[in-house]
Amino acid sequence: MRNIRALPILAIIVLMVGVGSSIYVNSQKNSSTSITINNEEYCVSQFSEMVEEKSIEADAGFPLDQLINKIGVASPETHEYTIIGSDGYQKTVTWENMQAGIITKGRESVFPDLPKAYRIKEIVEIKVEE
Amino acid sequence: MEKKKLIVGILVFGSLWGFAECVIGPLLRNANLPAGAIMTGVFAFGLMAASRMFYKVRGMALGMGLVAGAMRLFNPFGGCQLCSGIAIMAEGLLFELIWSRVPMALDEFSSLTNKISLGIVTSYGIYVLGYVITQVLTPMVSAAGFYFGNLVGILPQILASGLLAAVIGGVMAPVLFFLRDVDISRIRNQVYYPVAFGISAFCWYVVVSNSPWMAGI
Repeated sequence: MRNIRALPILAIIVLMVGVGSSIYVNSQKNSSTSITINNEEYCVSQFSEMVEEKSIEADAGFPLDQLINKIGVASPETHEYTIIGSDGYQKTVTWENMQAGIITKGRESVFPDLPKAYRIKEIVEIKVEE
Repeated sequence: MEKKKLIVGILVFGSLWGFAECVIGPLLRNANLPAGAIMTGVFAFGLMAASRMFYKVRGMALGMGLVAGAMRLFNPFGGCQLCSGIAIMAEGLLFELIWSRVPMALDEFSSLTNKISLGIVTSYGIYVLGYVITQVLTPMVSAAGFYFGNLVGILPQILASGLLAAVIGGVMAPVLFFLRDVDISRIRNQVYYPVAFGISAFCWYVVVSNSPWMAGI
């Protein structure tokens, strides 16, 4: 390695980036137990009054497409939806994905047609993208 | 060293890595431990660095990543493991890229500081960049598509979660440097091949037979 003397400095920078990011992520962590959908706040307990539960393999929850319809999003098929977790982890999905997906009582998304990376935990917001 | 011996080395080390990802990884996740960082720091970095110490050739980590990633991807009953499979293969490629600048003799790494630094930089590098590659490729090959805003949004989380992998890499590296005195080419073929094939077969057997149980079948 040509610049072996720079390696310890690089390692220190790496550690500082890791520590700095950890502090930032923890400071941004959203401890809310409610879920904001299209700028309106809901509790998970409200979902059972709005739509019927359904099961996907081992998971049971509320169909995401029905929730969006119930909330009154106009032309839902023309939008995309960004699902955001309490730690800032987020994924954007299409209406087709929403039609297959559910949100569990534990506020976790389950999409049978998508990889596990789309299982977002402790969901705090579902943004309706233009 | 014989080419055949190297290929079998790739198979056995890749199988051990895949075994760890398929069997130990889910156990760590079920225990709510930071499985990704632990798997990268201990098994991905540990096994790839160990193979470099043992065989002293470039390219092995890439082959190991392909074997381990294939085990994860084609895990017959485990369902879609796309993200993990891509991440493992990416980590193999990234290790090769980072260590392409590391001399084969490793004499320059005589000081403990340099060994620890190499472990920190490598482990953090393969974890963070592997994570980013996965976040780009997985949506691209799935039905949802890739959104740049999602990647930017989770970048702080990726950089933060890599800290544990970096620390583990820093602890592992000085220990792994002890392996560089082991000369694999001195192991007799009558011992090397049966042991290597036996370990590989065991790993694949356990992963395949374990998959229905892990999938809840």
